[in-house]
Amino acid sequence: MSGLVKAELRKLFTTRLWWIMLLVMLVLVGVGLGFLIAFAGVEQNGSALPARDTAAWAEVAWSSASSGGIFVMILGVVMMTSEYRYQTITGTFLTTPRRGLVIVAKVIAGLLVGAVFALAVLIFQAITVIPAVTLSGGEFSLSASRIPQISLGILVTLALYAVFGIGLGALVRNQIAGIVAAVVWAYVIESIFTGIPALHSVGKWLPGGAAQALMSIDVDTGLGRPEWLPAWAGAIVLVGYGLVFAAVATATTVRRDIT
Amino acid sequence: MAAIEIRNLVKSFGPVKAVDGVSFSVEAGSVTGYLGPNGAGKTTTLRCLLGLVTPDSGEALVNGERYVALSNPVAEIGAVLEATSFHPGRTARNHLRILCTAAGLPDARADEALEQVGLADAAGKRVSGFSLGMRQRLALASALLGQPRVYILDEPANGLDPAGIEWLRGFLRHLAHDQGAAVLVSSHVLAEVERTVDNVVIIAKGRLVRQGSLAELTSDGADAVRVRAAQAADLAPALEAAGGVVEHVEDGLLRVRGLDPEAVGQVALDRRVVLTEVAQERSGLHKVFLDLTEGR
Repeated sequence: MSGLVKAELRKLFTTRLWWIMLLVMLVLVGVGLGFLIAFAGVEQNGSALPARDTAAWAEVAWSSASSGGIFVMILGVVMMTSEYRYQTITGTFLTTPRRGLVIVAKVIAGLLVGAVFALAVLIFQAITVIPAVTLSGGEFSLSASRIPQISLGILVTLALYAVFGIGLGALVRNQIAGIVAAVVWAYVIESIFTGIPALHSVGKWLPGGAAQALMSIDVDTGLGRPEWLPAWAGAIVLVGYGLVFAAVATATTVRRDIT
Repeated sequence: MAAIEIRNLVKSFGPVKAVDGVSFSVEAGSVTGYLGPNGAGKTTTLRCLLGLVTPDSGEALVNGERYVALSNPVAEIGAVLEATSFHPGRTARNHLRILCTAAGLPDARADEALEQVGLADAAGKRVSGFSLGMRQRLALASALLGQPRVYILDEPANGLDPAGIEWLRGFLRHLAHDQGAAVLVSSHVLAEVERTVDNVVIIAKGRLVRQGSLAELTSDGADAVRVRAAQAADLAPALEAAGGVVEHVEDGLLRVRGLDPEAVGQVALDRRVVLTEVAQERSGLHKVFLDLTEGR
């Protein structure tokens, strides 16, 4: 099994997509962070983001890294669909005819890659958010704030989003369709249901909402107070999605004819 | 036990019966050509054998077992399928190393296999820059990784230049005759495999048409001479007297076996018969192949 996982990791790291994705993720998280820095404490429609020197702002800023989930998800989609696109799936199944093992190896590799991406974005947050707080005269304390829990939430979320991508990729097999579906899901559907508090009754059950619950972000960003599940329930929902997507990947792959 | 055993294999895709009750076997130490026109069901048969396609009924066994039941398939059978199954952004060496990792083979096998197929110089190049012939060699290298004793090649000559085909021919015969491997090679172009194979299995429209050794199949159509003459009726007994076997194809046209064109001409001269046509008929596997597959 470790050989199969290593083979899956090699597949990813012997092509160029992974570092392009990593770079794009860091740039976009950085842009989002730029907005949070610029609009900290600025009043809009009678409410406001917390000020930059507060612990609440640090939490919101830190948690913005969870937006990196989409890039890990796209990477997961590509881990699966590029096998069909370039027909390397043939060689993969010739080497490992027990296809279920291939899917398990991909899921484990996806979790590892997601975790590595999470570590990268957390380091990025550390070198941007901490100076932003301290330069504004605030005090940044890991122990006093909820940063460790948020970090753990980001780690789990990004790791699982890779699995979502693998499941989606196995389902659609077409690379472009898979990536478009992932982007539409993350940027349109989830943004609507998790961005607007009035829709949180639905949004809290979606992966994005569950991820927010896991980080327990309870800060009014100007649109009203969110209504997430408790953190433990968010974790269960998120892992549940991971299992469902892994099951989808297995079910759609095990018996299909490779022609 | 045969290295490859196909028994009553049936596979339909929707309403199309791609393979319809095919049976044959391949023994160690020989090269078997799996021949048929495009769409005859060759690829489907091979993919059933390799566990990529699930047959509707029948069996396809490698060393007596179903492919999916093999504990380390790469060490038992090497397969070369389409030439396009590489990620273009990956180098040849990395492509093979990934397969080595998954199969539990040492990375060094990648370079050894590249050496064997003559691609050592291109090991560090991305596959996107490879010609079709180089891709075929890389596909062959991937089949060699586990040093198996059974090889399956689906249209391996596609995209190879004449020198490449000649090289492949020597390589396959070396695997079978010197190393005792069983080799099954499919093709729709007879000329490519005619000089490579020991045995032939011919398939058309999903059904097995003919199988046997190359010698058996080619002897049928060998050495026939077409003879056209107005006085064919006079000529026939004389040709038979000279040792020929004469077949009356139509009025004024004979097909003679056992005599070459010169002998036919001599008989005609002796009998003072005017010949309007004397021709060696196209013979060999080509004719057998066309006769057997045309119009089916």
